[in-house]
Amino acid sequence: MNMLQRPGLIRHKNWRYPKLSGMVIAAAIIMYWLHSPAEGEPYGGTWLGYVLGIASMLLIFLLMWYGITKRNVPKSRDRRHYDKVDRRKFENTEDVRKYKRSEGERRRHQPVNTWRFGGDMKGWLAAHINLGGALLVLVTLHSGFQFGWNIHTLSYVLTLLVIASGFYGVYVYVNYPRLITENMGEDSLETLLSKIAELNEMTRIRALDLPDDVNELILAARTQTRLGGGVWQQLAGEAKRDCPTRHAIAKVLELGAKYTKDNQPKLMRDLYALLLRKEKIVSRVRNEVMLKARLRFWLYIHAPLSIALFTALFAHVVSIYYYW
Amino acid sequence: MISCLFIQVARNSQGEAVRKEGVISGETILVGRGAGCKVLLQDHRVDLVHASIHRSEDGTPFIEAEADSIIHINGFVEQSGALSSGTRVEVGPYLLTVEAIPEGHDLAIAVEIIHAHPEVDKSNVQDRLDLPSIGLSKRRISLWLFAVLAFLFILLPMLPSVSSAFDSWQSNLPITLTDSWNPGELSDGHRVFGSKCSSCHQKPFNAVTNEACISCHKNTARHVHDKTLHDSQFQQMRCTTCHDDHKGKQGLVKHNPALCVNCHGDIRSMKADTQVLDVRDFSKSHPAFRIAIPDGKDNGRVNRIRQTEGGKISEFSGLKYSHKVHLDRNGISTPGGDVVMVCHDCHVLDESGNHFVPMTMRKSCQQSECHALAFDEPAEGDVPHGSEHEVLDKLRGFYMRWLELPSNRVLCAQIGGGEKMFGCANELAKKNAASALFSETEGCGECHEVRRSQDADVPWRVVPVQMNKDWQPGAVFPHVKHGTADCSQCHDKSESTNSGDVSMPKIEKCRECHVGEKTSKRKITSSCNSCHRYHAAK
Repeated sequence: MNMLQRPGLIRHKNWRYPKLSGMVIAAAIIMYWLHSPAEGEPYGGTWLGYVLGIASMLLIFLLMWYGITKRNVPKSRDRRHYDKVDRRKFENTEDVRKYKRSEGERRRHQPVNTWRFGGDMKGWLAAHINLGGALLVLVTLHSGFQFGWNIHTLSYVLTLLVIASGFYGVYVYVNYPRLITENMGEDSLETLLSKIAELNEMTRIRALDLPDDVNELILAARTQTRLGGGVWQQLAGEAKRDCPTRHAIAKVLELGAKYTKDNQPKLMRDLYALLLRKEKIVSRVRNEVMLKARLRFWLYIHAPLSIALFTALFAHVVSIYYYW
Repeated sequence: MISCLFIQVARNSQGEAVRKEGVISGETILVGRGAGCKVLLQDHRVDLVHASIHRSEDGTPFIEAEADSIIHINGFVEQSGALSSGTRVEVGPYLLTVEAIPEGHDLAIAVEIIHAHPEVDKSNVQDRLDLPSIGLSKRRISLWLFAVLAFLFILLPMLPSVSSAFDSWQSNLPITLTDSWNPGELSDGHRVFGSKCSSCHQKPFNAVTNEACISCHKNTARHVHDKTLHDSQFQQMRCTTCHDDHKGKQGLVKHNPALCVNCHGDIRSMKADTQVLDVRDFSKSHPAFRIAIPDGKDNGRVNRIRQTEGGKISEFSGLKYSHKVHLDRNGISTPGGDVVMVCHDCHVLDESGNHFVPMTMRKSCQQSECHALAFDEPAEGDVPHGSEHEVLDKLRGFYMRWLELPSNRVLCAQIGGGEKMFGCANELAKKNAASALFSETEGCGECHEVRRSQDADVPWRVVPVQMNKDWQPGAVFPHVKHGTADCSQCHDKSESTNSGDVSMPKIEKCRECHVGEKTSKRKITSSCNSCHRYHAAK
């Protein structure tokens, strides 16, 4: 999934896309610099404004096409995928000739890279990121730094937001997978949840021999400890949570001085140790939820805002020709 | 080295224990689910390396939990404990029971799973652990954004085109339906339209027409005087070629020389017999200025004479005036003493800042009590600065009173003026006027051109003064903006003795400070409409 971590995404094909977007940016800036518009101050309606505007629009279409392409990668050159598909198709049949014919068919229908669904997603992503940077410069120069409370500036702002969320996505994809691995270690979310369930059970049993106030604490810690939650809770992770487990740990330590009969001290000590262990796992789960949420949430902004941008862009263009 | 009998206990369908024995040995025996563990407990609730079994210093084996792992020894959480016979150690869901040490081994451990995989606690299942579980959907958010934006910014702004009554109604709303499409503020004059786009944009997907502009701007002057020429050459031009609105304070006019140079770069292709020369840029290809000189027939017409190298242009103003005398650095003598005069003493800017207030005898020439018009002896009083008749009438009036003294009447006989007092006074006045008042070099003639006239009554005529108000009527020159320079930097009058000397600066003078469209350091960028006006034809 994480193509950014593959080596050489930016260096892809001898820095093809950084070079391309660098040239686009340089050309745009030089033209803007040399341009002295007939109308006085530069704006989107001069000839250069139109050139930059049309170039930006085409670039937006190209960047949005990435979203379509990445959902359609049938032209993958990964042979294993094809083998798997073919074998599944014929796994219940003994007809070897049929299977062999299908291999022949497969050879005839070799995966083809078309211009629409180029097979190299790495190249698409490299282009998407670098040309997104170039778009930032093109639209800014297209605006001529003339802003107002209108659809035109709204389109510009949406473009900025989409690009900014995209850059945040790059940052997240580069850094978060490492953090997720560090946090999870040898476990997965599922094993952590089952460990929590087991610890809950253990604390429940330990508390049975103890007074009610301890049982209440353990019940709260068992049933009210929240791991994920709404968007903000997921994104925030541990921050600002009133955690019943943490509360129970403090209380158990405090009540330890009070319950000193028979084997109560041993049980209290056990509870304390179990709760501490649970808290550690709970916070790892919350970290996992937070990291995964942050890893994905930017796309919930990036993709819908790009649709909003597309709509605003349409309105922007129509408004200009409607009131020509 | 620990040699351990390792017994895996399973339960058959009747619940009876089924024991399977094996031997494990090593200096340290690891307990966990990882591949390196000899006591291999394959359950996720067990850590990769959960605990380890060593020998203590006295030789007895003991178990020790890893730092982050929990083990229970005999029912309680412990970090470590000795493995004596009967000790029960819980590792995750497994129970490790230490059995009696068999022959040939150091230890015997029976392992049995005692906690089946628990149901994940319901309280945690409610927790939403990823974004899709909250109900967040990129597709749904996208659709909503599309719907809202399309409604607000595509559908609503098109609605006013449906009906003009609806358009008028909506244009009075505090925020109108079309506001979001407005690319910028209207110019000050066009604010009267408010938000009614259809005032100018009369038809969707059609450019603003000239008729839309002319319906209000009816009296806009043409570019050329000749109406037929205007109609033939400018029919195709649109107002919006040069005027662009929605630019706020920047105004309506495009300051673009290319718009003018389009025609004026090769003006003969537009009109073969034109007197106008080609111009492309003020710095490089602007022809010499043409100076407008009144044609002397007092009909308002002017001759336009081009300032060429060395050519001196002069005009006839009807005045005799020496700037050299008046601007003498040592001063000019006045009744009040010597005064050094400066340009502003006579040339005072009018309110426009472009031109000067016309000079008058009283304000300009009679300041500091100069040029006081007193009659010569014997006549007394002031000469009126008016028509020749007025002057002579006053002189006659004087002589009528003067002849009331009988001693003066003697003169009448000498000049042959007859006995009649009126005739005598008239003769005396004319005589006086001829010798002093209307002389070519004295009296009126000191400043004015005086000619003989056919008029029997007053046979002299003072040539009317023609003060040229504007030598460059085709251009606008704001003197007020050029107040940073001395007048003499452009108009050198220090040696001029003739009022007809025209001292308009040549274009080279302007180019000392002004350049054309191409910006230059220390010079002022000037486009065509810095000086010229398009709608200039009267």
